[in-house]
Amino acid sequence: MHIPDGFLSAPVWSAFDVLAPPALGIAARRAQRGLDERNVPLLGVMGAFVFAAQMINFPVGPGTSGHLVGAALLAIALGPAAASVVMASILAVQALVFQDGGILSLGANIFNMAIAGVLAGYLPYRLLARAHRSSAIFLAGALSVLASAAFALAELILSGVPVPRRVLLLSMGFFFAGALVEGGITLAAVRAMERLNPRWFRTPEETAFPAPGWIAAAALLLVAAGVLAASTYPDGIERLAAAHAPAWVHAPLAGYSFQGVEPPWLRRVLAAAAGLLLIYGACLWAGRLISRRSA
Amino acid sequence: MGDAAIERWSRQQSVLHRRDARAKIGALFAFLAAVSTTSPDSQIAFAGYALLLAAVIAAARLPFPGLLRRAALGLPFAAGFALLLWFSGERARALALLEKCYLSAAGALLLVATTPMPELLRALEILHLPRTVVLVIHFLYRYLFVISGQARRMRWAASSRGRLQFRSAAGALAVLFARSSARASGIYQAMLARGFSGQFPALAPPRWRAADAAFLIAAALASAAVRMAL
Repeated sequence: MHIPDGFLSAPVWSAFDVLAPPALGIAARRAQRGLDERNVPLLGVMGAFVFAAQMINFPVGPGTSGHLVGAALLAIALGPAAASVVMASILAVQALVFQDGGILSLGANIFNMAIAGVLAGYLPYRLLARAHRSSAIFLAGALSVLASAAFALAELILSGVPVPRRVLLLSMGFFFAGALVEGGITLAAVRAMERLNPRWFRTPEETAFPAPGWIAAAALLLVAAGVLAASTYPDGIERLAAAHAPAWVHAPLAGYSFQGVEPPWLRRVLAAAAGLLLIYGACLWAGRLISRRSA
Repeated sequence: MGDAAIERWSRQQSVLHRRDARAKIGALFAFLAAVSTTSPDSQIAFAGYALLLAAVIAAARLPFPGLLRRAALGLPFAAGFALLLWFSGERARALALLEKCYLSAAGALLLVATTPMPELLRALEILHLPRTVVLVIHFLYRYLFVISGQARRMRWAASSRGRLQFRSAAGALAVLFARSSARASGIYQAMLARGFSGQFPALAPPRWRAADAAFLIAAALASAAVRMAL
């Protein structure tokens, strides 16, 4: 689901355009570390492969067909950092050359598919692949599509695109169907590839840690569910904040906007960016703390 | 896929083709931001943006029909949401959604239709997009058509043998993956043999001229003027 320009409101697209580049920068640095410094041709060609693979139709049910999205497959084959870089590059080329997805909404699209989608696909694989390999791969494909779609829908709703309850339920149904299809395609593709060359996919080794991994997986699911719930019932969140938050938390973000800045849309941009930054920082800090304690 | 069109357009000559890619990127962002923040009720402003775009297309000496048709590729997706808006009674917003979507797509198309891909990527690298990402986009774009061609031939072959089953589609995907992976290692070996150091040697760095600054300022002012005045 590539969001074109014209759908997202200024606060939403600008917040994601501010957040996506640093996240992509981190992924790029980690991808470079994991790879031979000069082997970027591999990543580029893998991007071209996913692009071309989307032309191969998989028959699903009578008269309909689906195709690979690829975030989970890339995450399994290349690792999460490299997969993020490749997915982001695919999205950039689709937006620039194929008019598929917007330029201003590129940050949001990158976040949905190249960051949330890749992580949601990688974590179940990382955590479950040793014990239940097939279900881990299926889950990777399904969750990555589900996470991307949930974020995209939430962004549209936050931007004020009216989504009536019936349409919301209908699109959730489509998302679940799409998730099952992606899970099935990912599993079938990985199996077929392993028959050709078993060395392409290494099962992740059992290292000490999974605690932060589980926490990250849980956090991602919570955020996806929370974002969806928050955007469906925005009034509920505001009421909750009004009732329970201490005044100093409430004041600067009142009504999700900054006081004292003139144009109202700019106020909302600042508020949205500040809120996302706060969450970002809190997650980073918590992650540090946990990994230090477990080390 | 008729994507050779963009390659062809981007290598033509015109005032706009000669401008520095950074100026065009800045102008595009100013235009897109103006369009995005325009109130749905000011239909006349959208006409103003359309006139601006038409003037730029004419200055770039690009063919109107081809360009306008390509910009409409994203409209079916927008039309679904526009219908939703229309039937919930917000006719102005439905119309504005389609207009914003189309104008933004046409603006973005103008950037790639007047800037060859290597030049555009070079500009993005100067503007601090991570170098790994720039290189990956470079290779992706370069091999996209080769591997898509391979996928298309495999699809033809499969469909001439009958209906493609789920498992055989997965097999086709695996073969495509194997070929792509073999191609990638071939490319990598060939580049190492030619002394690739992880970075493309830059030809002459792009030069920022007064005309580039003038173009950027004019485009930003024109977009802002339409946004404020109409």
